[in-house]
Amino acid sequence: MTPRWTATGLSQDLPKGVVMAGHWQGHDLAVWRSATGRLQAWNDRCPHRGMRLSHGFVRGETLACIYHGWVYGAEGGCKHIPAHPALTPPATITVTAFACVEQDGVIWVAPADMAGSPPAVSGVQPLRSVSLTCDLAAVLAVEPALLGQDILRGTVQIDGQGHDVCLLVQNNPAGLTLHALCGVRANKVAASHWVENLRRRAEMKVAA
Amino acid sequence: MIQLYDYVLSASCYKVRLMAALVGVKMDLEAVDFHPGRAHKSVEFAQLNPAGTLPVMVDGDMILTESTAMLVYLAKRAGPQWLGPDDAKSAAQVQQWLAFSGRLAASLGMARLHDMLLYKGDIDAWRAQGHAALRELEAALTERRFAGGEWLVGDTPSIADIACFPNAALSQDGGVSLDAYPSVRLWTRRIRALDRFIEMPGIHRLHELSPTPKVA
Repeated sequence: MTPRWTATGLSQDLPKGVVMAGHWQGHDLAVWRSATGRLQAWNDRCPHRGMRLSHGFVRGETLACIYHGWVYGAEGGCKHIPAHPALTPPATITVTAFACVEQDGVIWVAPADMAGSPPAVSGVQPLRSVSLTCDLAAVLAVEPALLGQDILRGTVQIDGQGHDVCLLVQNNPAGLTLHALCGVRANKVAASHWVENLRRRAEMKVAA
Repeated sequence: MIQLYDYVLSASCYKVRLMAALVGVKMDLEAVDFHPGRAHKSVEFAQLNPAGTLPVMVDGDMILTESTAMLVYLAKRAGPQWLGPDDAKSAAQVQQWLAFSGRLAASLGMARLHDMLLYKGDIDAWRAQGHAALRELEAALTERRFAGGEWLVGDTPSIADIACFPNAALSQDGGVSLDAYPSVRLWTRRIRALDRFIEMPGIHRLHELSPTPKVA
């Protein structure tokens, strides 16, 4: 699979001091924002015992593992091991970091050596992220106005009016996630109902 | 003093312990050997609660066996602001969420009992019903966020939030991840950051709110 930027969440769902699970093409990630707002995406495994770092917690500019409290700082380097407080952790204890960029209210991830910027999604505002149990083909089948592959765009009827929507496609091990954005004049509650309805129609099509 | 027949791993019992802590009511906890003893299904326990469920609250001659009713009792007595706003719409919405919390217990709660305490049943159906309920909770909380709201009803946390919180926060114990529910996750963080919040096994307070432990 060609490496490419993948949307793994919306900025509004990751405030300062919070870590969440993310994905990049089959890799589990811990995506987190430090107290000062620095965004990072790391492999979701503590090098110590393999615990998910997305279950951990942010303190200041570091991410700590929930299991034994190993503390990781900028670029994924281990800064502190509570059971060995006097030890300076060797540089080999490092979590693999991914490239992580915030643009248009969307959190994008790619391998660390990825060149260029994520695709721009202009003219729309972040709405919400939803997971689906069906595949992308079912979504496209029930909403022909949506065109694209990784980024679905189109004009759809929300509250009886045509509004632009943009759905950023993320394929996770557990299924499909769509990060939805909508035209800036669309009513967000109505747009959210449209997303729910799209999901319902697509999943029912597969079940039928 | 209020007596609570309690089991430490029960989400419904924790719901009541949490509410009591938040409004500052002290209770006498009577530990019941729910697992493996099944003491809640004994003849003796049936005299207290014929349904054989936990928790049970006893205060004088009053016996309550529904956890949501216990939340109302504690809030009305010691923290009426936790009942939510007084208008008709808000009052009805609070009742809606209290009833909805029963659906979380019947789905996520049963999946958790299956995985943790070896309950027999249709685990796939429980998880699917749990996801369906979490989707409703996520949609509601997301719409509240669009309007700047942080809680299920009104501008402050209420018994509606406390009723729904435990089974949502414990969903991973039953094999249901919260990864797909960002608004639910941020809401559980807000509850875990409340003053006087108490923990249970599987639900911890926000570590980052405590100072870094000092080495002696």
